[in-house]
Amino acid sequence: MTYDDYLDGKPAIITAALTGGVHGKEAHPDLPETPEEIASAAAACEAAGASVLHLHARRDNGERAFSAERFQEVADAVREATDDAVLQHSTGGTAAPDALRHEPLRTDPAPEMASLDMGPLNRYDRLTSENTRELVASLHAEMRERGIKPELEVFNDGHLNESLAVLDEFEDPPYLNFLFGGGTTSPPHPRNLLNRVEALPESVEFNVIGFGPHQLPMTTQSLLLGGHVRVGLEDNRYYERGELATNEQLVARAARISEELGRPVATPAETRELLGLRGR
Amino acid sequence: MAETCPHLAYREEGDGKSFETARAFCTVTGSFVQPMRADVCNARYGLDPATDCEFYVEPESIEDESDATDADR
Repeated sequence: MTYDDYLDGKPAIITAALTGGVHGKEAHPDLPETPEEIASAAAACEAAGASVLHLHARRDNGERAFSAERFQEVADAVREATDDAVLQHSTGGTAAPDALRHEPLRTDPAPEMASLDMGPLNRYDRLTSENTRELVASLHAEMRERGIKPELEVFNDGHLNESLAVLDEFEDPPYLNFLFGGGTTSPPHPRNLLNRVEALPESVEFNVIGFGPHQLPMTTQSLLLGGHVRVGLEDNRYYERGELATNEQLVARAARISEELGRPVATPAETRELLGLRGR
Repeated sequence: MAETCPHLAYREEGDGKSFETARAFCTVTGSFVQPMRADVCNARYGLDPATDCEFYVEPESIEDESDATDADR
């Protein structure tokens, strides 16, 4: 992925992160939590240009759920509501035991993609999501066994080191997701994304997330550098300062920017071809 | 053995908000709890409210520290 990809008008993949697992309706009254709400948001985002839907599961009271059963409910509802979008299940979690982290991979059918956190990160004052090498390898092994494409979550430069060290173990093209924000996530600045991209082998496809107010500028920069983008309420609740967003609005804005910059928005079929996915 | 936080309540109303299904509410901060933090409140996954929650306080000190609570959770 290079600036030449931008000049060549390479299709841009838009991923919609609909709900996440950190905040809920206490932070945004319309944040989707139930399978039905998530499915409705998914359909709107697909229509607005998202070809990948990043899914978390929640309990009835909005708290996080990792069970395959709950992910199955969410995935079934989303498949029913959408046409052809790629489903990507989250395996991330603060302190959930390793066995639970595998559960989102065990739906029927398996998701086409799943997230794979590449190292530790802090949450709040005293929580750490450890993401040991042992867990990363274990999750990757199950993904490979089930034909699931991993999205390597690179929260900081240490995670980039970890990713580059094992890149040969991943099927082409390896797909790295760069996250920018606070805490143990990389400082959100254009130069930091430039450094990341310069460190990548050309065979790698990359995606970019900017948290909160950094979603818009980091999205734009990723598109200019030939990368892909993730937007949605999981990462950013606001359309602009003081104005709450919807998932659909955030996807539609990313699609407009992409088209204006000469990067056509990738269809689900183009996304599958770009990332080497197995199909629904 | 960790137990559920004694300051945890499940409420349908509070902090200027209301929900159809009761949600985790912290009586120390007087606000609803983010879903990820609710793992701490409920002592899930080996977490212990007394050591892992920055808002956990002994009941007798709540009143004294009422001005220091952080509602941004």
